This record gives sequence, structure tokens and C-alpha cells, in this order.
Amino acid sequence: MSEIKTIDSQKDQKLKEAYFTAGQGQLIWARFKKQKAAMVGAFVLIFLILSGIFAPFLTPYDPTIAGRNDTYLNGAPQIPKFCDENGCSFRPFIYSFERSRSIATNFRWITEINRDERRYVEFFVEGSEYKYFNFNVDLPGDILDFRIPGLTFNTHLFGVDEGMIHIFGTDATGKDIFSRTLHAINTSLAVGTIGVFIAFVLALAIGGLSGYYGGWIDSSLQMLTDAVRTIPGIPLFMAIAAFIPDTWSAEMRFFVISMILGLIGWPTLARRVRTHLLTERNQEYVLAAQLCGASAGHVIRRHLLPSFTSYIIVDLIITFPYMVLSETALSFIGLGLKDPVNSLGVMLQSVTNADVMLNYQWYFIPVVVFIMLVLAFVFVGDGLRDAADPYGDAGK
Amino acid sequence: MYKFAQFTMVRAGMALFTMIFVSFIVFSLMELVPGDCAERYLAFKNTQGSPISIAEIDSERARLGLDRPYVVRWVDWIYNAFQGKFGDSCILRVDISQLLGQKFWLSLGITLAALLLAYSIAIPVGIISATSNNPYLNNSLRLVSYLGLALPNFLLALMIMLFSTMVFGESLTGLFSKEFRDAAWSFDKLMNFLSRAWLPVIILGWSATAFAIQTVRALMSDEIGKLYVTAAAARGVSGSRLLLRYPAKHALTPIINSLGFDMNRIFNELPIIALILTLTEAGSLLIEALARSNDQQLAGAIIFLLTATIVTINFLTDIALALTDPRIRRSIIG
Repeated sequence: MSEIKTIDSQKDQKLKEAYFTAGQGQLIWARFKKQKAAMVGAFVLIFLILSGIFAPFLTPYDPTIAGRNDTYLNGAPQIPKFCDENGCSFRPFIYSFERSRSIATNFRWITEINRDERRYVEFFVEGSEYKYFNFNVDLPGDILDFRIPGLTFNTHLFGVDEGMIHIFGTDATGKDIFSRTLHAINTSLAVGTIGVFIAFVLALAIGGLSGYYGGWIDSSLQMLTDAVRTIPGIPLFMAIAAFIPDTWSAEMRFFVISMILGLIGWPTLARRVRTHLLTERNQEYVLAAQLCGASAGHVIRRHLLPSFTSYIIVDLIITFPYMVLSETALSFIGLGLKDPVNSLGVMLQSVTNADVMLNYQWYFIPVVVFIMLVLAFVFVGDGLRDAADPYGDAGK
Repeated sequence: MYKFAQFTMVRAGMALFTMIFVSFIVFSLMELVPGDCAERYLAFKNTQGSPISIAEIDSERARLGLDRPYVVRWVDWIYNAFQGKFGDSCILRVDISQLLGQKFWLSLGITLAALLLAYSIAIPVGIISATSNNPYLNNSLRLVSYLGLALPNFLLALMIMLFSTMVFGESLTGLFSKEFRDAAWSFDKLMNFLSRAWLPVIILGWSATAFAIQTVRALMSDEIGKLYVTAAAARGVSGSRLLLRYPAKHALTPIINSLGFDMNRIFNELPIIALILTLTEAGSLLIEALARSNDQQLAGAIIFLLTATIVTINFLTDIALALTDPRIRRSIIG
């Protein structure tokens, strides 16, 4: 009996020791694991990010006009099936179809499905080529250009033996909505990353200066921050975006737009960095370090920065969906990204007309994917915020 | 009283600084647009069949005062802007204040209504969710406010449009019916306006409400844990009396403080919603000015007016707070 007890208490001791010696990362992870919603969010997020990264492999066709299916414009989603009235098949299949239009149908394409003719889904098919690690930077000036050829593949996860398969349907030009959606996740993540990065650098510099020095530097920087916050962001963005000449390439537009998002988005982050620094600066451990004779640089590097990196990471994750959404809103009204680049906003550009609303509702499928993406970000961000708060447990 | 006057002066000075700073940014942006008013006007004339020369552009420039140095024109612009004179629109050749006039007030009204809606829902709901221990209530409220963030206004507007066209076969667009669009204001027109304006107000209020609920909830849960609440409870104050008199009162201060920025956020969305719901009377003028015609004078005027409104609201809320709370006065003048 007593033996068990000692083992138990030893175990307890070990657990306690592990708790007290755990790094901040381990503590956050331990608290984060307890939150179900945040964990689900994290899995969804990882899943979506991976499907964004591997979009060229997971999707059957090229998302640009090159991958269009001109025999199936505005086509409804084709759901692969295993069984129908003609019996079951081990391999999923879709049906072949006939399309026609005439004055009787008001010149709208009418699809007639031929249920007797099956098209079987195949896996790991060869299709359009795509590249990874391929960088082609073309900035003004020859020195800044560089090219890395990267790796070329042409295997896609699935396809059909005959014709094409569109599990989310096609749009007005016959582009596969499934392929476009997954590629759009990629774009949104890239825009968010660039935007957040720029906002973060600015916020760290301005908020850091303001928080570390305090006094009049703080007051004047705060006035500047407040002034920038007062400018209505989207109208301002629209003003800037309207100046982008039409002759710029889609990639150039993409970079500029992400940059502007970052340039507008810094004030909120900067305020948080400042608040963190202001409170941390007066903590006892900082005073202790200073009394031990640590230099300012040492205090900042070894004590202040580690104390709020976790908060900053959380803030970045929380800011992320806002960047993605701003980009979507702007592309939607036609001031953001343009066609060869795929983003949710670009895909939604045409949905306001009544024709789409009444007849082609599958245009809205990507919206669901995006709501999932943003929700996942919000859940993870919120879970991390709770987990990163060292006093979070005490309140509950 | 002296202190209060001092506070008002300092705060007004800060507001003025913000306005001047913003006007500088806006004016610089207007300058960055390729081409100026003179070129644009004459280019327009060119399309009407009368050929133009460089000399004509220069004389037009001189007439519009565009040949003066940058800073002089900026000072001139803000001097006039503060008096409500924005000059003529580049493309439409109409006085901007006349062009905006009613439209601006309508947009402002819709924004304020959305803000009011957001807080009239968020304050009670936020307080309830911060105090209740019911996990279902809390989780469902949490989900709703997350959805408010994840389903932005313009997607919500699209969904409602999709739904209404599928179910009613009619999209709920525009602020007025046809017969009232150009009519003078009357009781009927007001009624017609109200019968249509609720939709943009609700759509605009949607994510604002979600955001406000989160803010109210966070502030309330912070305040509830504080010692003065425990002390009051120990004295025997309880129930809603305890909540409303102590923590709610304190939680309200930061909310009032940020009203201006909340309004900014709602205003941000207005142009996009206006585009979807085709509210030609409201924010879509901005999109028109920028995206379609590149009318920098008009766009500058709109952004200036928006900022002026937000700065004014921030100023007024600060004054109102300072009237009730002496600590705020001290925070600025030290």
C-alpha cells in the first residue's frame, strides 16, 4: 500500500516538476490541447492549409483559362457515385452528358445526363503540368530578377477516363470551380502572410519604440497611430488600388495589394505590442535583471522578447483572417486581384447578377470553404489567446 | 471647471492635428493619381470632338490653380474643406458638396443606425453571457460571434440576396422605390425609405454586433472579477442592481471611448454593401468615384468627410466621458 503511495507521490512530484520547468511553449500547448473547439479548428486549419499547398496535385485541372472545359460552361457539380439502378461499381463514376440549347430553352444550356454511359474516376492520372519551388521574380531592374526552375510534375490525384470531372461544377468560362477553390486558398494564405508580415514589422518597430521609450516619443507615436486608425481603411485602400495601372501583371498587383493591406493593418498590432511592452517593462523580473547589472540589450533580448513572443504569435494569427477577408472584399468589388490569380473575391465577382443567383448556385460552394478557413483561424487564434494567458486558469 | 476647459482645448487641438494629418495623406494620394483635373477635363472634351493642345491644358491648369506649388494647394484645399467647400468634381463637373449633400447624410444615418443596433443588442447580450454560467448559452453566443467574424457583411448580403431571389423572386435592393427616388422628402418618402433601409442596417450591423458582443463580454468578465464588485456584493447589493451599478458602469467607459473607431469599421463596409444592394444613394458613390472614373477630387472629399465625422465622434465621446470621469481629464493633461 505504502509503496503505491510513494510511487504515486513520486509521479505527482514528477508531474509537478514537469509543470514548473516546462517552457512557455509546452505550457501553451498543454492548455491548448484541453480546448476542444480550438483543437477541431486546428485540424481543419491544417487540413485546409495542406490542401492549399498541394492544390495543384489534389485538383484535376489547371485553375486558369488553360484548364477550362469549353463543352461544359456553367455546368452543375458532378458527384461521383458508386451505385445506381444499373448496379454497383467498385470504382466511382460519373455520367456522360449531352448539352444543347435552342430558342425553346431561352438559349440557356440544358444538360441531359445519359445514365447508361458511365465515366469512371481514375486516380493518379497524368494531366496539366505544375511546378513547385519555382520562383520567377521580375522586379523593375535586371539585378533583382532571379529564376529558380524548380520541379515539374504532372500527376493529379484524380481524373476521369473520358472527358472531364467537375465536382464543384464550372463557371461561365468553363473553369473548374474545385480547382479554383483550392488554388484560391493558396492565394489567400499568401496574401495574408505577406500582409501580416509587413504589418508585423511596422507594428514591432513603431509599437516597440513607443512602448520601450515611453514619454513624448510614446505620446507622439500614439497620436500618429490614432490618426492612421481614424482613416477609413477600405475607402483609403480603394483610393490606392484605383491608382494601380491596368498594365501591371497579375503577380505584381498581387504583391502590391498584399503590401497595402499590411501598410493599413499595422495600428492595431502596434497598440498591442506597445501595451505588452509597457506592462512587461515594469515587471519585477525586469527590475531584478537590471539590478543584477544586465544591459538594456540583454534585458530586451533575453527577458522582454521571450515574454511576449507568444502573445505576438497569437495576435498575428488573429489578424490573419482579417487580411484574408479584406482581400476578398476588395477583389470582390474589382479593386483587388484580377483574373489569372485565383482568390475567393475574384471567383465571386460575377455572382451578384440574378442569373447566377437563380440558376448557378454552385458558384457559392467556395464561400463555404472560405467560411471554414476563416472560422478555423478564429477558433485557433482564440484558443491560443486563452492558452497563452498565464492567468487564464486562475479565473476559471 | 478650469481643468475641464483645459482638457477640452487639448483634446480639440489633438482632433485638429489628426484632421490636418489625415488631410495631408488624402491630398497626397489625390496627387499621386496619374493625370490631373485639367488633363481629364480636356480629355473628356476631346471625346466630344474638339481637339486639344498642350497650351490648352496649361491654360486650364492655370485656371484651376493647379500650377501653384504642392503645399500651397494643400493649404488651400484644407482651408476650403473645413468650410465644406470641396470644389468641382473632376469628371462630373458639378459642385461636390451639392453632389454629396443628401447622399452623405443618408450614408451617415445608415451607419449610425447600424452602430445603434449593434450596441443595443450587444450590451444586454454581452452582460448576460459574461455573467451566466450556462455552457450552452455561452457556447452558442460564442459561435454566433465567431460567425459574425467569419461571415463578413458582404458575404451575408450575398447570401440574403441569394435567398431572397430564390424564395421571393425579388432582390431587396435600393433605398427607395422608383417613384420616390427623385421626389422631395415627404412623409411617404420617409416611410418608403424606412421600409427598405432596415436591410442594409441589419447587414451592416451584423459583424459589428458580433464584434461588440465580444468586447462587452471581455470587459464585463474583467470587471466582475474585481474587488469592488466583491465588496459591493458583501455589503448586500445583489442581482441586476449589483451588475448595472458597478461593473457595467465601468465596462461602458472603454466602449464609449471606441465608438468612433467602431463607426469607422462600419463605414468601411458600407461601399461594398452598397455595391451589392445597389444603394446608389449611399456609399457606392465612392466606388464610382474611384474604380470607375478615377475622380480624385470626389474621392478625396468623401474620405475627408468620413474622417471628419469619426474625429468629431471621438472628440465628443471623449468630452462626454471627461464630464463624468475626472480620471480621463487627467490622462491627457497630466
